[in-house]
Amino acid sequence: MPYTNRLVLLLFIILFSQLSIAQNKFTVNGTVTDSGTGETLIGASVKLTGKTSGGAVTNSYGFYSVSIPEGNYEASISFIGYKTIKQSITVSKDIRLNLALVEDNQLTEVVISATKRDENVSSPQMGLQKINVREINNVPVLLGERDVLKTLQLLPGIKSAGEGNSGFYVRGGSTDQNLILLDEAPVYNASHLLGFFSTFNSDAIKDVSVYKGGMPAQYGGRLASVLDIKMNDGNRKTYTAEGGLGLISSRVKVEGPIVKDKGSFMISGRRTYLDAFLALSPDSSINGNTLFFYDLNAKANYQLDEKNTLFLSGYFGRDKLGISETFGFNWGNSTVTLRWNHLYSNRLFSNTSLIYSNYNYVIQNFMEENNFEVNSSIKDFNLKQDFEYSLNSKHSIKFGVNAIHHTIAPGKLTASEASSVNETTYENRKGLEAAAYISDEWSVNDNLNLVYGLRLSSFSLLGPGNFKTYDADGNTSSVTAYKSGEFVKNYINLEPRFSASYKINGSSSFKGAYTRNIQNVHLMSNSTSTSPTDLYIMNSNNVKPEIADQVATGYFKNFNDDKYEFSAEVYYKWMQNQIEYRSGTDLRGNGNVEADLLYGDGRAYGIELFLKKRFGKFNGWIGYTWSRTERQFDAINEGKWFYAKQDRTHDLSLVGIYKASTRWTFSSVFVYNTGNAVTYPSGKYQINDRTVFYYTEKNGYRTPSYHRLDVSATLEGKPGKRLQSSWSFGIYNLYNRKNAFSIDFEDNPDNPSQTQVVRTTLFGIIPSVTWNFKF
Amino acid sequence: MMINKIFNIIVLFVLLMSFSGCEEVIDLKLDDAPSAVVIDGGLSDQNEIQVVKVSTTYKFTENNKFNGAKGAKVVLTSSTGNIYTYAEVSPGIYNSPVFRGRSGVTYTLNVTLNNKTYTASSVMPAKVNLDSLTFKEFSFFGTSNTYIAANYKDPAGIQNQYRYILKAKGVIEEDAVSEDRFDDGNKVANVIFYELNDLVAGDLIDVEFQCIDRNVYKYFFSLNQSEGGGGPPVAPANPPSNFNNGALGVFNAHTSSKKTIVLK
Repeated sequence: MPYTNRLVLLLFIILFSQLSIAQNKFTVNGTVTDSGTGETLIGASVKLTGKTSGGAVTNSYGFYSVSIPEGNYEASISFIGYKTIKQSITVSKDIRLNLALVEDNQLTEVVISATKRDENVSSPQMGLQKINVREINNVPVLLGERDVLKTLQLLPGIKSAGEGNSGFYVRGGSTDQNLILLDEAPVYNASHLLGFFSTFNSDAIKDVSVYKGGMPAQYGGRLASVLDIKMNDGNRKTYTAEGGLGLISSRVKVEGPIVKDKGSFMISGRRTYLDAFLALSPDSSINGNTLFFYDLNAKANYQLDEKNTLFLSGYFGRDKLGISETFGFNWGNSTVTLRWNHLYSNRLFSNTSLIYSNYNYVIQNFMEENNFEVNSSIKDFNLKQDFEYSLNSKHSIKFGVNAIHHTIAPGKLTASEASSVNETTYENRKGLEAAAYISDEWSVNDNLNLVYGLRLSSFSLLGPGNFKTYDADGNTSSVTAYKSGEFVKNYINLEPRFSASYKINGSSSFKGAYTRNIQNVHLMSNSTSTSPTDLYIMNSNNVKPEIADQVATGYFKNFNDDKYEFSAEVYYKWMQNQIEYRSGTDLRGNGNVEADLLYGDGRAYGIELFLKKRFGKFNGWIGYTWSRTERQFDAINEGKWFYAKQDRTHDLSLVGIYKASTRWTFSSVFVYNTGNAVTYPSGKYQINDRTVFYYTEKNGYRTPSYHRLDVSATLEGKPGKRLQSSWSFGIYNLYNRKNAFSIDFEDNPDNPSQTQVVRTTLFGIIPSVTWNFKF
Repeated sequence: MMINKIFNIIVLFVLLMSFSGCEEVIDLKLDDAPSAVVIDGGLSDQNEIQVVKVSTTYKFTENNKFNGAKGAKVVLTSSTGNIYTYAEVSPGIYNSPVFRGRSGVTYTLNVTLNNKTYTASSVMPAKVNLDSLTFKEFSFFGTSNTYIAANYKDPAGIQNQYRYILKAKGVIEEDAVSEDRFDDGNKVANVIFYELNDLVAGDLIDVEFQCIDRNVYKYFFSLNQSEGGGGPPVAPANPPSNFNNGALGVFNAHTSSKKTIVLK
């Protein structure tokens, strides 16, 4: 899209010509916090109205900066769920204005919210959905485990990767095409127990934003979406503890000030206890087994002075499975983020982040004659420098640089002397991703807003190692040895980002966006669901960066005094260098996996409708998506386009929340979607007396359609007590719909001359109860 | 095989432990694809009649059968210059004269049916003998299962692929493959994951142990992978055949070593 590049360039020329226009401007800046906890508020709106007007939205650290000419202004600071502050200010010099908002308990706010009442209409950002984590409690979930990723799946354009699965597909992307960030650290495997629970314990989470399109230029590295999750900073005023006892897990969170109003900490943990029941069994082959997962989130921050704040946050989670004295299997993520916020001037905000992320798995076999242990990992070191510059009341600029060093250890097999297994180590792979970006948010006039930016991203595959090139049939055509630090292959890409909104009137707008995204790290998974042992690979001589170009346009309207919100978005996406496998590819312990890869194109398009009632005793939303997702590979399906596995024609979600009294809240979720595209047999034959199925068109069939109704009720304890407690009761799949988790074809065990179709249903009707406390 | 199987067992174990899945036989409307040619050809190192089965695919709803294709011309040529012509003994079953295949020789099978010729080549690998069969017990969650392990010595420095065909009371119950990627040159006891629990003392179990070439290994690996085998389901596809012109099936020149064990 060279036209877009040129357009973006033109816009930058306009921007920089404006830099030279001198204005007698001052800056109003500061942070917006919650008055009760001191927790910074992300996305609060600060608006100054006077002879001219200007405004800003607080960033991820609660900081805002507005540059405005000298004069008298009416300041209005608002954030959904809080009482709006209005105050008069006189600007005759730079002003530091820190604001504390008071929670508004009268407002029964719905789960998914924009930052201010008409943010959804006025902001040029499109394809963005935010979740207010405090309110997630009210949406019914499987086994009572609150889960941000599952709540996200109820929004248009975001689809569940399967029954009870925390994996998700965004606008035709696969699960590995989502960039999942926890305090800026990429989380490689965001699920526990093979996908049934996400790694995000909602106790520890402050803010969740998901970008389905129109990604701002500061984000890069994945094709389909950005899920940006921010952890709680911790209460700066007092010490508090809260937690919950559920059917499968318990949670506890402790937070408080390090130095009052200067710094705070938060520690939150969750652990499942299915294995505690196993231990009760007198049978040694049962009580010796392990099966659990845990999550630990910890964060601390300290404000050194008005201009400098430090943050340290970490996440550690692990799944452990073991069959007594036979097998062991564990996997998990660790992330650590160290950040330094610094104000270079009243207009220039800087954040420097040093990020570590690691995902690994270990498989152990303790049986004597063929004992072994497999270790595999992906490890990142990431240095990020971001700047936000408030140029004037019309322009706000973001720019920065980022470098990530990846080390992938595909597998190391160790065994004892007595074992029949040989020790084997596959070569580690190292890569360096570097990026620089700049973007400008420009309020052209009261009606037209633009965000335009450019991201330059590079990827280098680094030695040491032997690097192979394969021909189209998967045969090795060359092998070259590289030394440590040598560049094996470089890829450079330019990613233009552009979005615009045009306000037709006070309550409705049209928006449009074009985005290019690049992906340099790819997850290889040939199973129909993801598994902890899926293999990560990087660009190489054979694998090229995945590229997606997306155009989207939408109509946004609020009505009935912003009580209702409606949006319709249409998108079309082209994808290049998509990856599939030859049939029979063995991904486990395969040092030559690239020999088995096939490359092709993808396209995805659809329409997303969203209607939400935002306030009142009864609130909720309807989300509907019509979409298509297709792939084309020369070596698959005779080169014809076929439906990708994430293709689903219709996808409908209904969410209703009714606050019956100050203590009782009832809610319900209904979901319906067309079945996934799958390959089923269209005939059969015999090989060596066994029945073998004959497949014709790739993904030519559909699984049966999926639908389900969940309900839940929450009873809050009597207010005013020191110990606040609440009960949540839920029923998953109320009418016991037998949704297909898998469809299998097999010989009838009672009559082997016949073949039968077997449907496996994972979750029938499942009740749950959770007790939550806070003091 | 061992490592993959262990992984599959763990996955299955998690699924079973976490949630009780519910299985039900359902009706599903499936298409009837135009029938395709299937060739199932074997050639062993034993001095015997070698058999090639030629058939066509049939409807999913029909009873399982061997849908033999009559009137094919089946000719085998060896890289040493021998030519064997097969004779049709019953519909779809083609027999060779008595002869044995030799390790290191490339065999090419030509099957002509309805004026279309399908060709596949397979190299008979060097022979590895099956030394013994032993019983092996595993217990998972209070239930213990007995399996059979095939014991052999893998030759060092060569890439080997093996196939295990297990018959219980004369019926084929398991057809698995393995390679020596992780145990090259070692004494190996490979467990064949067929549960013996339904059998009683005195029942006979036969295992045929074949050395197969790389393409044949890939064919059977893919076939078993598509069927899941208790692991995470893989998007199914036709296994990669070594025949050209779109025929399904495989031509397998293999060595053969058999043992029988009596259940105690």
